[in-house]
Amino acid sequence: MEVGMLPISASKRGKLLAAGYTTLHSISRASPSHLATDIGVSEDEACEILKYASQTSALDPSIGSSNASTLEGGQTAWTMLNEEKFATRITTSCADLDNILGGGITCKEVTELGGVPGIGKTQIGIQLAVNVQIPPEYGGLGGKAIYIDTEGSFMVERVLQIAEACIEDMSEYSHHFHNTVQDCEVKLHPNGILENIFYFRVCSYTEQIALVNYLDKFIEEHKDVKIIILDSVTFHFRQDFDDMALRTRLLSEMALKLMKLARKFCLAVVLLNQVTTKYIEGSYQLTLALGDSWSHSCTNRIVLFWNGDERHAYIDKSPSLKSASAAYSVTTRGIRNSNSSCKRIKMV
Amino acid sequence: MAPLKSMEKDHPLIDTHFQSFFEDFLLYDLHALIASADNHSSSNTFKQGIDQLLSVIDAKLPSLRNGLQLLQDAECNKLLLPTGFQGIDALLGGGLRAGQLTELVGPSSSGKTQACLTSASTVAKNGGSVIYFDTGNSFSPQRIADLVGQTSGYVVGNQAELGPLQRVMERILCYSVFDIYQLFDMLQQLKINLKSKIVESDHRIQLLIIDSISSLITPILGGSGPQGHALMISAGYLLKKLADDHNIAVLVTNHMVAGEGGTSKPALGESWKSVPHIRLLLSREYGSNVCNISTLKHPSVASGRAAKCTMYL
Repeated sequence: MEVGMLPISASKRGKLLAAGYTTLHSISRASPSHLATDIGVSEDEACEILKYASQTSALDPSIGSSNASTLEGGQTAWTMLNEEKFATRITTSCADLDNILGGGITCKEVTELGGVPGIGKTQIGIQLAVNVQIPPEYGGLGGKAIYIDTEGSFMVERVLQIAEACIEDMSEYSHHFHNTVQDCEVKLHPNGILENIFYFRVCSYTEQIALVNYLDKFIEEHKDVKIIILDSVTFHFRQDFDDMALRTRLLSEMALKLMKLARKFCLAVVLLNQVTTKYIEGSYQLTLALGDSWSHSCTNRIVLFWNGDERHAYIDKSPSLKSASAAYSVTTRGIRNSNSSCKRIKMV
Repeated sequence: MAPLKSMEKDHPLIDTHFQSFFEDFLLYDLHALIASADNHSSSNTFKQGIDQLLSVIDAKLPSLRNGLQLLQDAECNKLLLPTGFQGIDALLGGGLRAGQLTELVGPSSSGKTQACLTSASTVAKNGGSVIYFDTGNSFSPQRIADLVGQTSGYVVGNQAELGPLQRVMERILCYSVFDIYQLFDMLQQLKINLKSKIVESDHRIQLLIIDSISSLITPILGGSGPQGHALMISAGYLLKKLADDHNIAVLVTNHMVAGEGGTSKPALGESWKSVPHIRLLLSREYGSNVCNISTLKHPSVASGRAAKCTMYL
């Protein structure tokens, strides 16, 4: 294996190559002090390089994996299928929207929602932050939420309003389906719901990237976080970014880290995006911002748009969902089916 | 090749005298070296040292093969794997070829992941094992089950037919990769495991899919040093070597970026263009199920040929 594939800094790599160490084989034969004098680094750094080299070449054929699979660390499609059957989804409180999503927002995936200003992206984000806390008895996940706010559009009074509406809906639901009054005491209180939303405000793109890097450690300590909402991922990357190539690199790295978080901790990541115009085939069309490379950084993409007077959602990209669109509305109680009165609730 | 002084342990002939005399062994003409060794006092040991060094170098070189051997190897080992995706099979004359690196490039939501999932399910159904490296959490086991069910009549809900479906799906292994270094580690491990294992004729690995390789390379490409380019080309080299040595077909996906004048071009730049053996361009009209595929690069078919196919859902 080549030295170029080790995760070490460019200067150390240059020194190793200049001294003639091009393969890991040659490094692993040298002792730390020998290596340190040869390439001119401290002995600690030489030890670190040897550690990396031995980690990667400790895939020793003599130890070998006899009856394990050809490559470790993966799952068969069959195990994943069985796991998927038991996965709960996060409802959006709008039955039509849930239908096209196959039940709601899936955990382990990154979903991107984008639309013109005023279409309801932040409203959906807040609704999801509340809905993730619905207890398992009512078909929810019973988890906490992380809300990362880049624009300052998170209004606590609105969250309280949506939380109260959600609790009322749950007690009404349990009244229909449970006989005794004691059973349907909903143990949630609006303040409790507010307590389970971790709110972060970021004011620049460096803060945004630093926060995404920090989330790994944060979620290790708060294992019941089940959704991360980034509202909006575009804001700090749009204006005044001189170096577009740097922007692409930063965004793709951030996307990979979010994907890793979603997979590692089995949570849902929801990214809210803005729109821009693009010149395609002779006309200007609205597309999601951040460019072509970013459009590949999510698992599912849903575009929100106005259809006459109604708000619609359209599944633009998904590996497993059909392309479909559904109507929804933003009411005082949160996101609901369009043209339905607030009293009529459809909860799964 | 290691510096001479690190070879001293294994090959005692290459001692400090030898090293100081033949400082830059590989640079000089062999006859000139032997002649200069003759003039030295310990010429015999020097000549034995040269012989030993030459045998070490020879051991590292692969054997030479002539055209007939290559043809026989191609006919027996480098077979075509049908993907089940009609457009691709039509353009490639049957399917993906083992031993070659095929790239699917296209804008977002054009059907690349669907093509990968379809290929995985078809190859698994025909008896081979598939390794799927997923960088965007897009591997959908439900979709694989549907695809296997569609073409072979296994209904997912039917209890009696769960056995065959399970056997097919257990041949597809999915790994989540989020880092180029992690990819290198896994490819190295795969290379070592494949070399040391006795070949199982029944369910050996026939297809390796990386969806998508561009999301692993884009964070490191560009910037201050040539590090990103070097890693990209090394990854391509490793994949092609794996494909050739172990008769595996490798399928990777790439995305598009904006080019000059409002057109799109494949990502990863000019250097990547020469890495895959075959490049196919996918596109889909907005709101339709029809996928357009055309050849961008192929070693034996004229480029520019196109095909259409409908994606089933």
